[in-house]
Amino acid sequence: MVKQWFKSGSPWIWMTGGAVSISLISVLGLLAMIAWKGLSFFWPSQVVELHLNGSVSEQVVIGEIYDREQVPKSRLEAAGFDLSAYDSEFIERILVKTGNREYVELDFRWVLSTDIKQQSAPEKLAVFERSKNGNFYGYVEQVIENGNVVTDNATERLYELVERAVELNEDALDLQNGDIGHINYELERLRLTEKGYVFDNALTDERVAQLQARRAQLRDDYKVLEERLFALRKKAKRDQVIVRDMRGELVTLPLYQVLDVWFPNDMGYFAKVGHYFTQISKFVSDDPREANTEGGVFPAIFGTVFMVMLMAVIVTPFGVVAAIYLHEYAAKNAVTKMIRIAVINLAGVPSIVYGVFGLGFFVYMLGGSIDELFYREAAPSPVFGTPGVLWSALTLAILTLPVVIVSTEEGLSRIPSTVRHGSLALGATQAETLWRIIIPMASPAIMTGLILAVARAAGEVAPLMLVGVVKMAPTLPLDGNFPYIHLDRKFMHLGFHIYDVGFQSPNVEAARPLVYATAFLLVTVIITLNITAIGIRNHLREKFRSLEH
Amino acid sequence: MITVAPEVNQANGQTKLDLANLTPEQTSLQIKDLDLYYGDKQALGNVNMLIPKGQVTAFIGPSGCGKSTLLRCINRMNDLVDSCRIEGQIILHGQNIYDKRVDVAALRRNVGMVFQRPNPFPKSIYENVVYGLRLQGIKDKRKLDEVVEKSLRGAALWDEVKDRLHDSAFGLSGGQQQRLVIARSIAIEPEVLLLDEPTSALDPISTLVIEELINDLKNKYTVVIVTHNMQQAARVSDQTAFMYMGELIEYADTNTLFTTPSKKKTEDYITGRYG
Repeated sequence: MVKQWFKSGSPWIWMTGGAVSISLISVLGLLAMIAWKGLSFFWPSQVVELHLNGSVSEQVVIGEIYDREQVPKSRLEAAGFDLSAYDSEFIERILVKTGNREYVELDFRWVLSTDIKQQSAPEKLAVFERSKNGNFYGYVEQVIENGNVVTDNATERLYELVERAVELNEDALDLQNGDIGHINYELERLRLTEKGYVFDNALTDERVAQLQARRAQLRDDYKVLEERLFALRKKAKRDQVIVRDMRGELVTLPLYQVLDVWFPNDMGYFAKVGHYFTQISKFVSDDPREANTEGGVFPAIFGTVFMVMLMAVIVTPFGVVAAIYLHEYAAKNAVTKMIRIAVINLAGVPSIVYGVFGLGFFVYMLGGSIDELFYREAAPSPVFGTPGVLWSALTLAILTLPVVIVSTEEGLSRIPSTVRHGSLALGATQAETLWRIIIPMASPAIMTGLILAVARAAGEVAPLMLVGVVKMAPTLPLDGNFPYIHLDRKFMHLGFHIYDVGFQSPNVEAARPLVYATAFLLVTVIITLNITAIGIRNHLREKFRSLEH
Repeated sequence: MITVAPEVNQANGQTKLDLANLTPEQTSLQIKDLDLYYGDKQALGNVNMLIPKGQVTAFIGPSGCGKSTLLRCINRMNDLVDSCRIEGQIILHGQNIYDKRVDVAALRRNVGMVFQRPNPFPKSIYENVVYGLRLQGIKDKRKLDEVVEKSLRGAALWDEVKDRLHDSAFGLSGGQQQRLVIARSIAIEPEVLLLDEPTSALDPISTLVIEELINDLKNKYTVVIVTHNMQQAARVSDQTAFMYMGELIEYADTNTLFTTPSKKKTEDYITGRYG
């Protein structure tokens, strides 16, 4: 019977099918876990008020319940807690996010469930999202508008005032990064131009006068803008809110530091959904704050996509041209075979090695030489002789070059020779045949190579830490200042952001959900890039559905 | 030298040529002392023949006899084989095509070729036909349209595809694809058209259409056809060359070769004793 079963081949089918199922489950499980942990962070969770009769003294704790765990009683007793009244083996422990970082020593705290005398979720509890020091939890006591206490509809008015302050702050930030940033950039360029003239011994009086005039004009512009900036800031600082915190004390929060306020216990389902999506869109579109533990990840998304696209633009032509030479022109001898093996092995080199190579060759040698030749006036500060987005893209281009070469070559070898001969027989040269027939027909394979390259490059972090990624980049590699694309700038990257937030942050507990959210975002970005590429490839495949019959 | 008075070929109703002594006006191609080696192995030995202008010449013979190889010599497709070495001459317009100064691309424009399996490009029908013209840099839309119609008519395909010129060529049947390839070849108006077993991958009806087409083509082009099928050679060709083991055994007008072959080997082959 068993022998029959083995002979029938069913065990083999079960085994292979099982392998597929396990892989599928692990991939889906991984995605589901990251998605769940990352996305649930934005849901406005209940804020509770806990009355404790702790071993020390009675106190009130207000905050979000962040985590629960079962701890063996013996361990707690060894730590000095008196738990003789309880006979269960495990005691539940609750992690509460209490916020209010500047008034309590820690914004997270563990509470034993046995200490909780009373637990409630008052509807009046408010959560303030602040630009500094994280969240603040408490009861709104008074709203002060322009020095006067608001009496009617204080909550409604609070929303409006917060919105006003946020808008004013945004205007101020736009002014600072936009026009004022532009003037600073111009001034720096003038300084470099002047230094350049000095180097070339071409600093004539006329030029000095010109530069001075331009500078004076910029300074005047700057003064005007600065005044506007100060005015905006002053306007933003007008209002305050007085909040009673968990210690029972009244705290004055200036509204210009408040980004958002909500009453989670008072929200209906739809209000919560609305809040959820607002939070997600802020996460995707805002700059990070508080050493990356708060705020959004927009610069990291932008940096990742920009760098990967730059890499794709560099690696595709190189890889395709190399593959064409290897497959079409190179003599089929031992040397070509060796080169091919070397190329394939290149894919197996650990990525950090590429990082070291990139740092040594691109940054110091190439970048250093560029600085010496073209940016003498900027010395001693390097322009290209320091890690930057261009060098990162180039390093990853080398890293992914083998993938593109191998799959392009495969595509070239799949093109039937009859098609080549057909073209040659019509009087085309080999080059014309390549351009008009072979490369278009190989384009789906080239796209496959590109997809693999993008997937690999978008996930690489290790080499980037050496050649261009930073924790916090003040400017994007793309902006409104000439020459608009700044390939010398350092950039932020989602992969590195995960590492930084998860392991290098001053407040690991607060940042943990961000790690999941960022990881989920990274996966989403890579999948989006891949799906786009796969879409293009399928389109090309359809178009060149070649002689597969 | 004795001049034989031209007599009428019964099968094709044409004047019979003296193949050994064609005048230059009658000659399209002259193959002279041609030897070909693949590495150390000799594939063609001492082939000498004159191919007359404006007629259909067929190469027949058993598999591996070198007939396709000989055909591929005429437009230098054997250059693509690394180990191939050629000695001797093929003379077109008084010039040896294996001369170093010859532009191979120009030669192939003049000597078109159609292969065993239809090999349309992954483009539209229209673009397939104008491919050769685009290579020559012709961009004038009117001229291209004109050539497309003329070539497709010439290949007896126009009526079937005139409403879907911009559809993919892969949508055509095998026989239509082969006629498209012929249209593509005659679009650049070559003098000589080489057909390498053009119907071996096709069904009988498509084969018939192509054979009729070959009959029409010979008024404008010199056609050289390699075929496996002796009946086909008898039907379409004016001259037939029988090859065996890389050598040209017998070359005569088709009627003569099939009715009164002068060599024993030819007779054995056409009577089906081997091959």
